[in-house]
Amino acid sequence: MKTISLLALALCASVASHALHAADVAGVSASEIVVGHISDLSGPIAMLGIPVRDGMLMRFDEANAAGGVHGRQLRLVVEDAAYDPKRGVLAARKLVQRDQAFAFIATMGTPVVMATMPVVLDAGRLHLFPFSPHEATYAPLHPLKFQNFAPYQDYMEAATRHMVERGNYQRTCLLYQDDDYGLEVMKGVEAGLGKLERKLVERTGYKRGATDLSSQVARLRAAECDLVVLATVVRETVAAMTEARRIGWKVDMLVTASGYSAQTHELGGEAVEGLYGVSVLPHPYAAGANAQLGAWIERYRARFGAEPNVWSVMGYTLADMFVRTADASGRELTPTVFARTLENLEFSRDYFGSPAYRFSAEDHLGNRHGRLAQIRDGRWELITDYLR
Amino acid sequence: MLSLLQVLSSGIAIGCVYGLVALSFVLIYKATATVSFMQGDLLMVGGFAGLALHLAAGWPLAFAVLGAVLAVALLGAGLERVVLRRALGQPHLVAVLLTFGLGMMLRGGVASVPAAAQDMYRLPFATDTVALGALVVAASHLWVVCATVVLMLLLAAFFHFSRAGLALRACAEDARMAALMGVPVARMHTLAWALGAGLAAVAGLLLAPITFVHLNMGFIALKAFPAAVLGGLSSLPGALAGGIFIGVVEAMAGLLLPEGAKDVVPYVLLMAALLLFPQGLGGGRLGGGGR
Amino acid sequence: MTDPGRVSSRTESTRVPVARAGNAGHWRRHGRALATWGVLLMAALAWLGAEFALGQATLVATYTIAGLGVIIIVGQAGQIVLGQGAFVALGAYAQALLVHAGVPALAALPLAAAVGALGGALASLPAGRLGGLYFGMSTLAFALIVEEGLVRWESLTQGAAGMLVPAFALGGWRADTPLAQAGVSLAAVLVAFGLCARLLRSRIGRAWQAVREDEAAAAACGIAPAAAKLRAFVVGGSLSGLAGGLYAHWIGFISPEQFGLVFSFELLMLAFIGGARQLAGAAWGALVVVAMPQAIAVLRDTLPGDWARAAGLELVLFGAVIVAVILLRPQGLARAP
Repeated sequence: MKTISLLALALCASVASHALHAADVAGVSASEIVVGHISDLSGPIAMLGIPVRDGMLMRFDEANAAGGVHGRQLRLVVEDAAYDPKRGVLAARKLVQRDQAFAFIATMGTPVVMATMPVVLDAGRLHLFPFSPHEATYAPLHPLKFQNFAPYQDYMEAATRHMVERGNYQRTCLLYQDDDYGLEVMKGVEAGLGKLERKLVERTGYKRGATDLSSQVARLRAAECDLVVLATVVRETVAAMTEARRIGWKVDMLVTASGYSAQTHELGGEAVEGLYGVSVLPHPYAAGANAQLGAWIERYRARFGAEPNVWSVMGYTLADMFVRTADASGRELTPTVFARTLENLEFSRDYFGSPAYRFSAEDHLGNRHGRLAQIRDGRWELITDYLR
Repeated sequence: MLSLLQVLSSGIAIGCVYGLVALSFVLIYKATATVSFMQGDLLMVGGFAGLALHLAAGWPLAFAVLGAVLAVALLGAGLERVVLRRALGQPHLVAVLLTFGLGMMLRGGVASVPAAAQDMYRLPFATDTVALGALVVAASHLWVVCATVVLMLLLAAFFHFSRAGLALRACAEDARMAALMGVPVARMHTLAWALGAGLAAVAGLLLAPITFVHLNMGFIALKAFPAAVLGGLSSLPGALAGGIFIGVVEAMAGLLLPEGAKDVVPYVLLMAALLLFPQGLGGGRLGGGGR
Repeated sequence: MTDPGRVSSRTESTRVPVARAGNAGHWRRHGRALATWGVLLMAALAWLGAEFALGQATLVATYTIAGLGVIIIVGQAGQIVLGQGAFVALGAYAQALLVHAGVPALAALPLAAAVGALGGALASLPAGRLGGLYFGMSTLAFALIVEEGLVRWESLTQGAAGMLVPAFALGGWRADTPLAQAGVSLAAVLVAFGLCARLLRSRIGRAWQAVREDEAAAAACGIAPAAAKLRAFVVGGSLSGLAGGLYAHWIGFISPEQFGLVFSFELLMLAFIGGARQLAGAAWGALVVVAMPQAIAVLRDTLPGDWARAAGLELVLFGAVIVAVILLRPQGLARAP
């Protein structure tokens, strides 16, 4: 018992001393900037998480090799929350307290984002570009919150409107994943149809990880849809198209950016030919790539031993925006300075073909637009510019 | 009417997969009194093993499939020898957690291969459709049904005519008596695990053209529990029948009942079956020993 | 099929230390336990930094309460539960909805516990006569149904989009700092421990132990096994419901998939790692379950080379720890010496 109390006393003293030293700006030292990233490397969206992380690592490594940002090296600290908000909160606290992260970038998954964002903002750290369609990531306006993903709701509204007008479809239906993603898409599709004074004819959902979509497709067919919007991810996109073709139903389908992936046509083959999709960023095809993109794809392959995809480009782009903003912020880097700089920078279209990202003091959402693409001869071809 | 038949045909095919997984679960449970929570992970490993042998090692598809099943069967036998044997005679929960932990390790092991964690794959077979009159059936679904029938016949023959099969059955009926009769009970446990793991791998390979091979494909094994319970938890044909029943009911519910019903129907059936038929639909009742 | 030898394979270790120890002895034991945990907390404060350690303590305490529910069902009454996460979910949603409806947080907590208790009763009902593995099956099915129900009942739960939950408030005071949250959850843990200890010493608790050891003998002594099991699920469900009510405030955002199968298994592991026979096992197990993924992450950071960043490494290590604990210490960490 005596040893225990002695030990406790010693610990008390060390706690007290711990509180005394604190850096001027968290995560920024003379030689380093620490950036936190809460990812999903082993959960349901690990297929996004890993390439996003790799894309960011690649850009930070390049910046570091070029001498860093104003002489400071960038260090990305990655935590795996596996889509679980409990682990996310712990990871966020660790990054805030122990690693003293200057900014949080690209947190993965709505539940994790919603649970960690208060921790991050309360600590006065930047919350940049989370992977979540939730409105709360940019609204209401907060000096430290920035988002650059076109929310599903906005671009699906435009895409649905454009499709229906162009193709003169009379009966639009929806097949959706019954989670936050599916709900956001549904709102967008309904809004788009609403502007044309139409309604969704039929909607049917499936559970994430569903094996078989035959009953859903049969329902949609029974409703005599002529356009089916898919709020699906890759596997269900292929399954829905395949099932429709199997039962001899030649209906047009439009998938969100989550189904816009090279895997869709690699896995779907013939069956997905003619599928429409929304793209918020073109897929980096090696065949027919411009010189810069080709070189980038080579570098990525060499570094990670895998083919880059849209998500790798996304990660790379986010890290690039961070690097450019930090660079433009000058030597005296604080969250406030960074945020003001970001509000005034313009990120024009680059060799990836991404949209122009632009923030302002009143609007912290960088992009609201997507463009239409279609699978032709086994690859996605862009068929419109970014829809306004 | 035609759409009903179309949906029914998919339901039967998916039900066969549920049934095979339930079969593997009940086989292990009956023979070793071990509750396995890793059948889904074994299924996933089976899919990836076939993929690796075919695409990475370049084996012809038929050999790759056979090789994958054998490899997973060996894995099951090995795990029984090294780890699962220790759970014998312990409360059920020990086996539940042990197999859950092993399943995590299997999933983590596969996820450590970057190509496996990031992508989804398809095994190049059964990609087209077959027309039976007005009814169009996916070849992959036909494959599942045919393979299930063949497997059932093989298993029935094995259990009724081969020495090992008879010994395994004796062991499942009454391990103590079987031991007294000279059956090598420990070897039978290994055999049961090998069979159970192999069956799960077959289910994974049959599922490959339908849902593709990916890290989370093992979640389908959750549906095996209602199937096994409907079959009475102790009958192999019962488990298979339970699986097909669940598959069909689920498909019909998706077509006819309100949104969301499809996903809960199997579990509602499970609870209803326990409530209404406490003796089990297959007749056998396994009380006690539930710690 | 059933092996009569197995039913009583663990009888030798079933003494109930709390009941045996004299009054003075048992206060000394409590003092000792509290001192040990106090030192652990101080060490964490010093090593991890105050806010981080307090955040951890909050979660450990909340997990402890949820884990106590498992310990009652599994360790005391000897039944199987595979869907404990659903009881936590019910408590969390009940708490969130009540608080949104203007009920004070403190008054809502007992109601959250009651909803959890109702869940426990419903989940165990179908298997009531059968027991054993069938409890596992029916609770598993119940958990999956609850998850789907929370997704589909959009008008109430906002479905898969999830719900924001305000901070825990008491009158004008809001528990929005790590220190306050840790304080509230530690208080709740002490209350839960106190109630459980009393319960185990009462007739109800003795009935559970009798049922666990030998159902037939218990029935012969005038104990109704079915009623005892139902009570265990009700109490276990209410503890997890209470934990869910607190959890909703600490995390601030709840959505149906958070409480899925993985969470249920985490709680089961918690009980097993800590030791399901003793209440203290919940605290030890919670500590391990909360700290382990982070310890593994720290370990991973120190490993050299690219392979340490492989996505599955943490899963493999976590699985390995479970397997190792079960093989090497089947009685859990809190086993009485």
